[in-house]
Amino acid sequence: MATHRVGETNLSGSAPSNHHLPYAVLHGINPPAATFINQEGSAFDFGELEEAIVLQGVKIRNDEAKTSLFTARPAATLEMFPSWPMRFQQTPRGSSKSGGESTDSGSAVNTLSSRAEAQLEPESPISIKPTSDHQAFDQKHLQFQQHQQQLEMASDNSRLAGPSESQPAASKPPPEKRKGAGSTSEKTLDAKTLRRLAQNREAARKSRLRKKAYVQQLESSRIKLTQLEQDLQRARSQGLFLGGGGGAGGGGAGGIISPGAAIFDMEYARWLEDDHRHMSELRTGLQAHLLDGDLRVIVDGYLSHYDEIFRLKGVAAKSDVFHLITGMWTTPAERCFLWMGGFRPSDLIKMLISQLDPLTEQQVMGIYGLQHSSQQAEEALSQGLEQLQQSLVDTIAGGSVADDMAHMVVALGQLTNLEGFVRQADNLRQQTLHQLCRILTVRQAARCFLVIGEYYGRLRALSSLWASRPREAMMGDEHSCQTTTDLQMVQSSHSHFATF
Amino acid sequence: MHYQTESWGSYLPTRSVGDPLERIERLASENAVVIFSISTCCMCHAIKRLFCGMGVNPTVYELDEDPRGKEMEKALMRLLGSSSAVPVVFIGGKLVGAMDRVMASHINGTLVPLLKDAGALWL
Repeated sequence: MATHRVGETNLSGSAPSNHHLPYAVLHGINPPAATFINQEGSAFDFGELEEAIVLQGVKIRNDEAKTSLFTARPAATLEMFPSWPMRFQQTPRGSSKSGGESTDSGSAVNTLSSRAEAQLEPESPISIKPTSDHQAFDQKHLQFQQHQQQLEMASDNSRLAGPSESQPAASKPPPEKRKGAGSTSEKTLDAKTLRRLAQNREAARKSRLRKKAYVQQLESSRIKLTQLEQDLQRARSQGLFLGGGGGAGGGGAGGIISPGAAIFDMEYARWLEDDHRHMSELRTGLQAHLLDGDLRVIVDGYLSHYDEIFRLKGVAAKSDVFHLITGMWTTPAERCFLWMGGFRPSDLIKMLISQLDPLTEQQVMGIYGLQHSSQQAEEALSQGLEQLQQSLVDTIAGGSVADDMAHMVVALGQLTNLEGFVRQADNLRQQTLHQLCRILTVRQAARCFLVIGEYYGRLRALSSLWASRPREAMMGDEHSCQTTTDLQMVQSSHSHFATF
Repeated sequence: MHYQTESWGSYLPTRSVGDPLERIERLASENAVVIFSISTCCMCHAIKRLFCGMGVNPTVYELDEDPRGKEMEKALMRLLGSSSAVPVVFIGGKLVGAMDRVMASHINGTLVPLLKDAGALWL
């Protein structure tokens, strides 16, 4: 393949003959299978491909070049290499000229790119062709000073981009190490090409950085996960439990929770399954047009189903009232509408009124009356809770350092009243549901329960959907970094941060 | 008023000791709506807000401000069969109950007629 390389034609006699053999063969190294673009994943972009194509055919002739690779390394990359004679050719579209070599350059590029990312051995980067040799050595430089490297390569390879324009190069002292690259044609890269190549390089670099950041994120998440699992093991052995965070995939953050709360969460999960069962019973009962008596049995069963959850909540309130009142047992969307550890009865009735048509006038009066009295009761309980909170605040805030403990004891006593409020709120909910059943006919009550069940089911589903919605993770990181920096800039003196 | 004929020596003979429960019943019958409360109790505050919100003007006895409050508390606990004596509501001299009973009767619509009958609520 090497013999067909465009670069070959540019090789003047300065190239040693062994140069035409694959480097790998020379050294008995098996060339890797063609490393494909995909190996680079997101890090590879066509900027690099284009560059490599443009740089195609630059060869480091021999070990001298190799040694020189590690010696002279001018820092400036964007200078126009004034020391180089006019071997750089104008390449407005460098890639088009090397189109014919795309296959060769492709694999060479791949090798190049993959090397750039993979570890580079100082000694002999494996390459397949003589041009690859050069590029392999170039990879070393990539590791050193990537951008400079590529620019130089760009400069070098551009010389080879156009066979017709290539001139046998007098020895052109490569600023880096391209000796013998003198055989390539001398093309001066014009500003446009340089700029484009630079932009491509930038893009490639950003791409690599993003990939690196992502991988680091994954790594740290993995570590965090193993740590969490260890914590879980430890906590389980100590009799504590890990909170699932809001029922069916609510997406809330898990945490260590008390045994009472854990037990309640399990019972609530079972209650939700029962709820499904009751709902389908109601549905089939309605569709089958059962006799009222039979339907009444189902409706009463559903009422007892709700009585059960209120009973369970009462038990849980004794052991962990905070778990109930903060709504950690529900999904986030439900939590958003939480009132005193559960749903707000008047809101439920408001929702039902529109769904329960047709109603007799008496029923309408009854339901509005129910809504009204429920609102009054809710208001009273809320004000009572407010007073509890106020006295807690006074207790915690007041007192000198000396009687700190005394105040804590008082505060603890006040906290015990929380249980009473959650109990009364659940009582209100229970009474509201029972009263609804008294006002409505059996069929209406069955439909009503179906509506309630479906409503909360949708609210739970909303939580799951919200939790699993696609997010721009990386963009988010960038933005959050930006925000953080902005905040820091606001908070700290100017001298701390250079312009971002 | 009915005074107890016997008096225990340790008590001042100014007034009959009276069974605390009797005192409670006596006080309850003196007004349409009577609430026995403790000034620092938040649930008592809630029940007061409930009646005031309905436009009722209840008569409130703060047991922590009554010299015989302690024994009345105990009597109420026995009466209700619960560990918490207050709040407790009497309407028309008759015992309605603690917060849960009051709320249940409000929800099922029996509280308002009761209040009206006792003359605590008009329309």
